[in-house]
Amino acid sequence: MIKKGIHSVFLFFFCFWLSAQNKSDSLAVNFHLEFNKLPLKLNHKYVSAANDTLTVETFRCYISGIQIQYDDNSVFTQKESYHLLDSENPNSFSIPITKKSDKLISKIIFNIGIDSVTNVSGALAGDLDPIKGMYWAWQSGYINMKIEGKSPSCKTRKNEFQFHVGGYLKPFYAMQCMKFPLDKKADDDINIGIDLNRFFSNLELSKTNSIMIPGKEAMKLAAHSNKMFYSQ
Amino acid sequence: MKRYWKHSTLMCLILIGFAFTVRFATPIYFEVPDKWPKPVYDFSKNPITEEGFQLGRNLFYDPILSRDKTISCASCHSPNNAFTHVDHDLSHGIEGRKGKRNSLALVNLAWSKNFMWDGGVNNLEVQPINPITNPVEMDEKLENVVTKLQQSPKYRTLFSKAYGDEKVTSQRILKALAQFTVMLKSSDSKYDKVMRHEASFTQQEEKGYQLFKANCASCHTEPLFSSDKFENNGLKPDDSLKDGGRIKITKNIKDSLRFKVPTLRNIKLTGPYMHDGSIQNLPMVLFHYTDDLYKSPSLSKQLTKKITLNKEDKDNLIAFLEALTDESFIHNPKFQYPR
Ligand code: HEC
Ligand code: HEC
Repeated sequence: MIKKGIHSVFLFFFCFWLSAQNKSDSLAVNFHLEFNKLPLKLNHKYVSAANDTLTVETFRCYISGIQIQYDDNSVFTQKESYHLLDSENPNSFSIPITKKSDKLISKIIFNIGIDSVTNVSGALAGDLDPIKGMYWAWQSGYINMKIEGKSPSCKTRKNEFQFHVGGYLKPFYAMQCMKFPLDKKADDDINIGIDLNRFFSNLELSKTNSIMIPGKEAMKLAAHSNKMFYSQ
Repeated sequence: MKRYWKHSTLMCLILIGFAFTVRFATPIYFEVPDKWPKPVYDFSKNPITEEGFQLGRNLFYDPILSRDKTISCASCHSPNNAFTHVDHDLSHGIEGRKGKRNSLALVNLAWSKNFMWDGGVNNLEVQPINPITNPVEMDEKLENVVTKLQQSPKYRTLFSKAYGDEKVTSQRILKALAQFTVMLKSSDSKYDKVMRHEASFTQQEEKGYQLFKANCASCHTEPLFSSDKFENNGLKPDDSLKDGGRIKITKNIKDSLRFKVPTLRNIKLTGPYMHDGSIQNLPMVLFHYTDDLYKSPSLSKQLTKKITLNKEDKDNLIAFLEALTDESFIHNPKFQYPR
């Protein structure tokens, strides 16, 4: 009993030490959710380039497999790299990855969504916990991205639109691999914008407003969705 | 140097901690019957222990998993019926709400790659999310299940026995349920005893076995009595259900009306039959295969040649199918309601 007590005290300090270290000198990727280059406000009225008036209520998206390439050809690959960005939880948009340094970063690579191997790996925890509401029950698999809101253009119940984009079975494997060339020192965070205007400008909400299953339409949306991401 | 010592003491303590967590759970070895294929389930990611299995067993029989605490897994998968339900064609869930499909018998799941009639579920561990959250089954949210179990002193004890601490997570719930369901192994029917040379078939069963191998085994492949593939066995689609089976998952027209080949182990006990529960008994099943095939473009090629069976053949075939009943599985006290 005593042994267990001591060990948990130590473990506590150990974790504390780890987390303290994380904050002080780690290089992070910060994602910035925007509409037309301005920070997105939830439930705020916007007009898209396709002329739809709309409000966004939910944005959630998995970022996985983060990799940093340096100009000396070394590569940092994050382990267990699965992160859920959730508009309800602003902190989730900043992802610490590795130590800051004086090296030059030449490229960042990451996936939007979850790879097929992880999709068949059974019950998982952390950001991959099915409790997070990013998992399909009747057809196993992660929802890579959820965008939900309202628009008078949608002749649906309560004018809602719902996009649940995902799928891991070919030919409907929806994960998108993103690569951004950079030329910056690794002593400062990397900033990536996610501009929802670019998503909605490719879309007519009166015609496309509810996509909730993997398939052809989801693949199209996944292809639009990668246009939202840009290096700042 | 000082720092180094600090670190190694810390590491030692952590290791002792691990030793603690490993020691209290009793490993169970999953035995693969002789000449059976290698299981599909990855036991290395969920090592079975007595404590984990018992937790799973308690969860399986507990209606606490449903929103109004009325329906347990066993409501639809009862041990007396080889872990399916018998009284109705389509499953009944919470408040008597009717599902779209007949319940499947839970048996030899360690050898299945895909689950459900359409194979939509890709891993045994995530299968329970489906009934728990389905509005016509248990209609509950996973996070509520976690909360309810965390509040229960009984489950806090069971979780700490299985995992070393009381923390309830969805991953722990799902892995424990899988520990129970994956252990539901049936390999001791008369058929198995004959294969092990511990018994012999009656003349009737032997004739039935030959007929089975000629007409049925291409899909209901031994020893699991399922190829684990998706086939169209000529069942006429029920217009009110509009169930295309596998096509829902693959969106491939070739998969229209294809369903997972179900095992025939304990088949005598698991009627009514087929994904829609449309066939009442085994003689009717044989009538289906000989005289009542619905011809559609995706009909499996094994069935394009007419199957002819006379009255005596049918009796023999049924005698063989009845030799697939495994009493020691049905009555195994380890699988019954926990007391
Ligand atoms: C309301 C009835 C009902 C309840 C409650 C229920 N199931 Fe099921 N179960 C079914 C039906 C129906 C199917 C087939 C579903 C399908 O194919 O769409 C099934 C299929 C399964 C399968 C797949 C078997 C195979 O061979 O593919 C497993 C495993 C399973 N259930 C386990 C469970 C567990 C564990 C629970 C409790 C958490 C549970 N079930 C609760 C009705 C139920
Ligand atoms: C082409 C592959 C194929 C062949 C050959 C075949 N079956 Fe089937 N069988 C299936 C499929 C697929 C199902 C499930 C169909 C459904 O529910 O839509 C099934 C279902 C059954 C069921 C119901 C099982 C349950 O749990 O509901 C029985 C019993 C059965 N078959 C017996 C036989 C017998 C006996 C033969 C030989 C005369 C035979 N089958 C030949 C594919 C086949």
